[in-house]
Amino acid sequence: MSLLAIRGLIKHFGANEILKGVDLDVDKGEVVSIIGSSGSGKTTLLRCVNLLEEFDGGEITLDGTSIGYVNRNGVRRRLGERELARQRAMTGMVFQSFNLFPHLTALGNVTLGLLKVKHMPRQEARDHALSWLKRVGLADRADHLPSQLSGGQQQRVAIARALAMDPKLVLLDEITSALDPELVGEVLSTIKALAEEGTTMLIVTHEMRFARDVSKRVVFMDGGKIAEAGPPAELFGNPKTQRLRDFLGRASGHI
Amino acid sequence: MEQFLHELWIARWAIAQGLVVTIEVSFAAIILGTALGTLAGVGLSYGPWPIRWPIRMAVDAIRGIPVLVLILAAYYLLTFAGINLTAFESGLVSLTIFCAAHMGEIIRGALQSIPAGQVDAGRAIGLTFPKILVYVLLPQAMRQIVPVWINTGAEMVKTSTLLSVIGTGELLFRTQEIVGRNFMTLEFYGLCGVLYFLVNYAIEYAGKFAARRFALQ
Repeated sequence: MSLLAIRGLIKHFGANEILKGVDLDVDKGEVVSIIGSSGSGKTTLLRCVNLLEEFDGGEITLDGTSIGYVNRNGVRRRLGERELARQRAMTGMVFQSFNLFPHLTALGNVTLGLLKVKHMPRQEARDHALSWLKRVGLADRADHLPSQLSGGQQQRVAIARALAMDPKLVLLDEITSALDPELVGEVLSTIKALAEEGTTMLIVTHEMRFARDVSKRVVFMDGGKIAEAGPPAELFGNPKTQRLRDFLGRASGHI
Repeated sequence: MEQFLHELWIARWAIAQGLVVTIEVSFAAIILGTALGTLAGVGLSYGPWPIRWPIRMAVDAIRGIPVLVLILAAYYLLTFAGINLTAFESGLVSLTIFCAAHMGEIIRGALQSIPAGQVDAGRAIGLTFPKILVYVLLPQAMRQIVPVWINTGAEMVKTSTLLSVIGTGELLFRTQEIVGRNFMTLEFYGLCGVLYFLVNYAIEYAGKFAARRFALQ
């Protein structure tokens, strides 16, 4: 059974239908990339999976549990804050704009969830966080505030913050889009290493070469639906739909 | 000069007492007002409307009323409600309410200036909203408002002079009593002004130190 199963996901912003029935499965240990032009619903899809957005129809199942909503007597209800928080902790998310906590050091950013969500003892949380900072190559920056770090370093701290919580699934939302070109490489190689270790990831990206290198499967979203999906070689080498051919043509600067 | 020093010696305890009352009432009002104002600011920013609207009305009303009227109301009107407060207590109540209304608005502004991504990031690691508030949002808001907060503190010390009208024995009231006895208007009001200046100068200085200490750089 797949770790993440999305069935018929529908999401409106007012009268605007952003997701028009999305079906997607991600297996344990699999890396799936989502590509598509802006406004196609990629980011919204990720935010629904992490329960940062409410959704209007369909179901998301994570590790066998339907998340976000319950059905009581046929009435669909959003879960309460505590239950949502517990379910969100099962997934980790890294954002385009890093969203590090600016008042906490790199170490503080990574330990906050360990202390306040996982209720780890302080010393254990510190050791665990330091081991993650080491894995992203920032052990020597543990005591720096985010404002004292470069964009690439900040994003690597954000990756450590998400991964230290030991999530079942990691969501990456255009994590290199806000970075200077020369800093993109260090972040992508961190993700590549995680992929090789078998971390399950769902990645929204504009980096076509990265999507091709790191993913087992690539999904092309268009107009709130999945238009095409398959192994990267197939999707990039032999696109079936005209929309994907057009998109890849426009994005060719990134390949 | 000799006469002034003589009168000063006689009045030394009265002045010291007045200074202590001024500092006590101002600081207590700042601390209590900030605590209350933080609750108000959180309510204004994130409360559902049945909480937000009453707070909004109270904050606007208090900010629209002159402090002097608040002070007189706390001293004279609360008696009709069966609450009998001493001059010090009514002074503290009115200054606290005044401070809370201002801090509420300041903290609301600071909270709303924090990017939405901070809440997302907190949620993403599994924090519930109350925890996000305590560990993510309020620490950032508080750092942001340090300069304004210090300013409000100095403002409260100055506002506390209004308490002299209800006979809270603070510095201005004591000075008025002393001047009423010896008629050395210039000397003692001058001294009073210098003392207020020194208190506020100390607050500003401490504030600058705190602002540097808590800067996000």
